[in-house]
Amino acid sequence: MHRQVSRRTIFAFIGPAVIGLSLVGIAPLLYAVWTSLHFYNLTKLKRVEFIGLENYWKVLTDEVFWQAMGRTFFLLGTALPLQIALGLIIALVLHQPGLTLLKTLGRLSLVLPMATTYAVVGLLGQVMFNQKFGVVNQLLGGANINWIGDPNNAFFMIIFWDVWQWTPFVALVLLAGLTMVPVEIEEAARLETKSNWVLLRFVQLPFLVPGLVAVLILRTADTLKLFDMVFTLTRGGPGSSTEFISLMIQRVGFRGFDQGLASAQAVILLIITIVLAQLYIRVFYKEV
Amino acid sequence: MKILRNISYLTILLSFFGTIAFASGHWSLKEAAKPYEGTTVDVVFLLRPGYEAIEAMLPAFEEETGISINIIKHPYENALGEQVRDFVAGGDLDIALIDLVWIGNFAENEWIVPLADVQAKFPDIVDPDLDIDDFFPLVLNAFGGWNDIVYGLPFDNYSGLLFYNRCWLEEAGFGAPPETWGDLKDIYGPALTGDGKYAFALQSKRNETQSADSFARMLWPFGGSFLDADFKSNLNSAESQTGLKFRQDLMQYMPDGIVAYDHAETVNAFSQGDVAMITEWSAFYSTVVSPDTSKVADCVEIAPEPKGPAGRKPALGGFSLAVASQADEAEQAAAYLFIQWATSKANAREYLERGGVPARQSVYMQDGLENFKFVPALVESWQDGVPEFRPRFAEWPEITEIVQEWGTKIMLGEVTTEEGAQEIGTRMEDVLEAAGYYSGDKPLAQ
Repeated sequence: MHRQVSRRTIFAFIGPAVIGLSLVGIAPLLYAVWTSLHFYNLTKLKRVEFIGLENYWKVLTDEVFWQAMGRTFFLLGTALPLQIALGLIIALVLHQPGLTLLKTLGRLSLVLPMATTYAVVGLLGQVMFNQKFGVVNQLLGGANINWIGDPNNAFFMIIFWDVWQWTPFVALVLLAGLTMVPVEIEEAARLETKSNWVLLRFVQLPFLVPGLVAVLILRTADTLKLFDMVFTLTRGGPGSSTEFISLMIQRVGFRGFDQGLASAQAVILLIITIVLAQLYIRVFYKEV
Repeated sequence: MKILRNISYLTILLSFFGTIAFASGHWSLKEAAKPYEGTTVDVVFLLRPGYEAIEAMLPAFEEETGISINIIKHPYENALGEQVRDFVAGGDLDIALIDLVWIGNFAENEWIVPLADVQAKFPDIVDPDLDIDDFFPLVLNAFGGWNDIVYGLPFDNYSGLLFYNRCWLEEAGFGAPPETWGDLKDIYGPALTGDGKYAFALQSKRNETQSADSFARMLWPFGGSFLDADFKSNLNSAESQTGLKFRQDLMQYMPDGIVAYDHAETVNAFSQGDVAMITEWSAFYSTVVSPDTSKVADCVEIAPEPKGPAGRKPALGGFSLAVASQADEAEQAAAYLFIQWATSKANAREYLERGGVPARQSVYMQDGLENFKFVPALVESWQDGVPEFRPRFAEWPEITEIVQEWGTKIMLGEVTTEEGAQEIGTRMEDVLEAAGYYSGDKPLAQ
């Protein structure tokens, strides 16, 4: 027998979560928006005043901000395709029949990089890529490559660590997608074609798309807010070569103490992230 | 003159309190601290030798006074942010640890209490033997003073010194370290660089190290400065440019990637015998002469920083301790007692022997300091330093970020010294204008 649930009961179940989320998520966001509309420097609190959109104007016309943004998107544009390509290869290998024990071990080992704290990855990088004592130069036959002190090498290093840490995540998501392909369809397709590419493109890919969209959204958001690993590894240097947008916001807000400007930067970053997420969903889901 | 007058007033005030104390009987730390027994004082310490030294001495203070010192340790780079957030939020810190470039900021925000105010409020806790004149005047003024008011007492004190590897220099035919920056570059540089070894390393990482240890170090000896008398940028003056170009030329005798070298990397390169000379803070002395941390411990010698065309203008840095205004009365008194004790004449020798660098003149006149090779150079440097080696006003945190960014770009060759100086100058003047220096809202503090 169907019975109408009272509004009070619904509120009792959902209300606490909504209130909790509002307090934890929405309130700080609103506070950041409020701060972004003010001159709000922690070391000049006597001078707090409403300045309208001046902070936003400053951010939008600041070439250093756009350089940091460009750097961040360059990282995204180089690391993410690599992660997807490598992740797909790993997923396809692990999806092959047989060798159950090895595959289980492979899946388990994939978790390790993801489970490593970002800051620890940065510290590992400092040791491993040390010009004189680092294992990387030793493995390269005692090469004398200056990884951390050279702008291009330092950027490459960041890409390397990001790919190392997050390719397993992509692989696991895609592997989950591959297991969704009905066995009978896959077997039938294999009878029709010997081409793995055709199988991937027309049978497996449709099942991978939801996972891929999730990967794109999560990795884009993660890259835009990438901070800990870079902070411990290069601190944004040398020069500005690895100063990504989140490091810049931290620098402005917590080293220059200009919370108003940093909040405006953060709000703009949030808007960009939301727009990108919407774009991914519309473009890729439409294709499906 | 104002500083001298201020110090004189302080001396008279202290003498007055001292007389009262003497008249009422012999002053002792134990008696003075009795009303504040059981009080806990929160203070930020850095991960550096001077702090380890005082921490090792702390049990004696706590036992005698019954006051607990709660130490919160931070690396240098986090110390300012942590303290600012604590003071803004009305947190727990009872003592402010103040780098010389933070003092304007802390004083203008009234986060710290002038020393004389604390002493007037709690006359019974003032040690008659405080002897404020015993501090090196330059150090007291630069580290603890702002606008002619003394807020903090110098605690962890640095001067830039030339650390050199005597054995290596002798092997290359040099009987003494370079007397001038020009000699260092033109004579010692080529002779000591080769086969993966370098004559010199100038720590230049993009943080305060870039602006203080690298950029500013090359301005002053060449007659340059950040600002002129009108608080306009002086970075494109001929003297400042000479200094900045000199730094570029000198880089050929430094390790690759010097822009990634912080203090740790530089001290390590010297300690491992990869670099013949470094200009580093006196605080790192104990690290480079300890066989546990240095391969060249027996070869380390110390000299004052080389002279430039404008004379010897060594880097000046260091920290004072001041009572925080947010602390309650008991905490303020207990905090003052700790600061007074930690910087006292009586404890200066032990502090020095444990790896600290006191700013007390009297301790350096004592016998038996032969093992502390840095002493003569340090004393000489503190006679002729530049208090405004880095401008100490409240706007420095914003300006240092600009210097760090463009100073590094200059070193990497991404911009010329002129272009970099122009960018820093323009942005620096924007900050100063917004602060009200040019409209007359704020006095030209230095």
